[in-house]
Amino acid sequence: MIRLGIMSFAHLHAEAYVENVRAIPDAELVGAADDDKTRGAHFARALGVRLWPTYEDLLAQQLHGVIVCSENARHRALVEMASRAGVHVLCEKPLATTLTDAHAMLEACKQGGVSLMVALPMRFSAPLLEVRRVLEARRLGEIFCCVSTNQGQNPRRHRDWFVDKRLAGGGAVMDHTVHLVDTLRWYLRSEVAEVYAQTTDLLSGGNGDVETGGLILLTFANGVFATIDCSWSRPASYPAWGGLTVELIGQHGVMRVDAFRQNLTIYPERSPGIHWEYWGSDANQGMIAEFVSAIRERRAPTVTGVDGCRALEVIVAAYESARTGRPVRLRME
Amino acid sequence: MRVAIVGTGLMGGVHAEAWSHTGARIAAFVGTAGAGGDALAGTYAARFVTDLDAVLADVDVVDICTPTHLHAEFTLRAAAAAKHVICEKPIALTVGEGRRMIAACRTAGVRLLVAHVLRFFPEYRLAREMTARGDIGAPAVLRLSRCTFRPRKTDNWYVDPERSGGMMLDLMVHDIDYARWVAGDVVRVFAKAAQTSGRPDEADHALAILTHRGGAISHLEGSWAYPPPIFQTRFEIAGSAGLIEFPGPAPAAIEMHLRGGEGSNHEVQLPRSPLHESPYATQLRAFHEALTSGTDPPVSAEDGLAAVRIARAAIESARRGQPVELDASGEKPP
Repeated sequence: MIRLGIMSFAHLHAEAYVENVRAIPDAELVGAADDDKTRGAHFARALGVRLWPTYEDLLAQQLHGVIVCSENARHRALVEMASRAGVHVLCEKPLATTLTDAHAMLEACKQGGVSLMVALPMRFSAPLLEVRRVLEARRLGEIFCCVSTNQGQNPRRHRDWFVDKRLAGGGAVMDHTVHLVDTLRWYLRSEVAEVYAQTTDLLSGGNGDVETGGLILLTFANGVFATIDCSWSRPASYPAWGGLTVELIGQHGVMRVDAFRQNLTIYPERSPGIHWEYWGSDANQGMIAEFVSAIRERRAPTVTGVDGCRALEVIVAAYESARTGRPVRLRME
Repeated sequence: MRVAIVGTGLMGGVHAEAWSHTGARIAAFVGTAGAGGDALAGTYAARFVTDLDAVLADVDVVDICTPTHLHAEFTLRAAAAAKHVICEKPIALTVGEGRRMIAACRTAGVRLLVAHVLRFFPEYRLAREMTARGDIGAPAVLRLSRCTFRPRKTDNWYVDPERSGGMMLDLMVHDIDYARWVAGDVVRVFAKAAQTSGRPDEADHALAILTHRGGAISHLEGSWAYPPPIFQTRFEIAGSAGLIEFPGPAPAAIEMHLRGGEGSNHEVQLPRSPLHESPYATQLRAFHEALTSGTDPPVSAEDGLAAVRIARAAIESARRGQPVELDASGEKPP
C-alpha cells in the first residue's frame, strides 16, 4: 500500500484529489492536516477524511507521499517539512510565488532524497494527449504558432485567498498561466525565450489587489510564438468553471483542442441556469496515478518541480513585462 | 444619386449588388479591359469605362473597390472633381496616404466614407451596442479572430505587401477597427507574425495584443494560413459585469483541418450567414443615407485612418520584435 496524506485544504483541488486517491487500489489516504483548524475540520468531515492535529502528526504516519494543497505562498514551508520527513511530494500549482522559494523547494527535496512532482494535470488530459500524438507523428509538419486560453471564473467564489496577493502571489496570471506554459513546452519541445504580457484589473473581483485579466505572448527558443489568455473572464453564470484551449498553426494544417468540451448541455426549468456536465476522462486521476506509480516504482515522476519552476519563471517575467510594457528575455540555462 | 464603381473584382461586384438595395443608380464601372467589367456593367445596365475621368462629370459618388494601393490616387481624383468618395477598407496603404485623402476630401467639401463592413455585421453590431449601453459593464478583455485561407487570385494582389499591405492591413484591420470601436483608442501594440507558405515577407498568420487607453486589452488573430474553404470568425468581449461570446463553428474537443484536399474553387472567401439583408447592403444603405441627408455614418474616415495606424504599428512590431507605442491622439511619436 502506498500511504498518502493531504497537507491543507486551502486549494479547492484537494477535494478532487481525495476521490482520485480513493480510486487507486493500492493507495491509501491516511489522512489530512490543515493549519486552518476550521477549514480542516469542515473538509475532513465533508469528505470523510481523518484529520490529524498538526502537519507533524500527519507526517509521522509513515507516509510515502503527500499532496500539498496550501495557499500558493505557503507551498515552500510544507514542501520543506515533507522533504525533511523523507516523504515524496505532489505540490499544487503554481509551484511557488517567487523563484527564491521554488529553488529552495527543489533543493530541499534533493537534500531529502524525495521526488517533487507539480500538479500539472493537463499532461494527463485525453484530448491534449491525442494532440501530442498528432504532433509527435508530425502530421501538422512544422509548427509556427499557437493560440491558447485558460480562462475561468474568478476563483474567489470558492476561496477568498486567490485574490489576496500576499497568499496567492498574484491574480489571474499567477493562477492560470502555468498549465499552458507547461503544455506548450511539452508540445513544442522547446523552452520559453521571451515573454510579453499586458494585464487588466477591469474584470470584477480582483479586490483592488490583483489583476483579473491577462494576455501573454511567448516566444520559444525554436522561434515558435504563442499567446496565452489567462483571464478570469468567465462570469458566475458561465455554464462551467472555464476551459482550456490550444490552437496550433502548422505547415500542413491547423488544429484546435478544447480540453473540457466533452460535456452535456443542461437546460433546467429553474436556476442555476444552463450548465455543462463534463463526461470526458478525468485528467486529475491520471496525474494522481502517476504520483503513486512513481513512488511504487521508485522513479522520478514524469512532471517534476523543474517543470513547475520553468512555468514560474514565465509568470515572474510576465509580471515584469506587464509593469514595464516591454518584452522580457529569459536567461537560458 | 449616381455612382461610379471603380474596380470590377470581388468587392466591385459585392458593392454593385449592395447598391441595388438603395435608391442610387450605378452609372458606370471603371476597370481594366478584359477583366469582366463589361459583363458586370451589363448586369446593372451601366457603362463600362477604363478611365474614371470619362465618367466623373456624370456621377455624384465614386465608390472605390480597387486594390488598396490605388485607393489614394482615385480618392484624390474624385475629390478634385468634388465627388463624394466611398472607399473599401483599409482606407489606404499608409498613414500618410490616408491623411492626404482626408485632407483632400475636406478641402473639396466632399464626404469620405470608409467601408469597414464589420461595423454592419449584425452579430458584431449587436455585441458593440450591448457593450456600449453597459450590459456587460466595462469591456476588459477582447478576443477577435479571423481565419481563412491564402487568397488565390490570378493577379494575387492580396498577398503582395506593396499592393495590399499584407494580411494584417488587409484582414486583421477589420478586427483592429472593431476593437477600437468597442474598447477605445489604442496606446500600445505588440505583434508576432509567421509565414506558413508563400514568398518571404508574406506573413500569413499573426497574433497581436492591443492595449487600450482605458485599460482594456485585446487579443487579435488574423490568418491566411487555414486550409480552403474555411473562413472562421470568432469573438468575445469580457466585461466587468458579463461576457458576450460569438463562438464560431460548434466547438468540439478536437478539430483538425489539413491541407491537400483543396475543397473549393473560391479565390477569396467572404464570411456568410443567412440574413434578409447582407451586411454589405446594410453598409451601403447607411452610406447612401449619410450622403443624401448629411447624417454621420457609423464609421468615419478618421476611424479608418486610426485602423491603418494600428495595423502599421502591428506590422512594425512584428518586424522589430518590440512593442510600438501610440501617443494620446493615436499618432506615433516622432
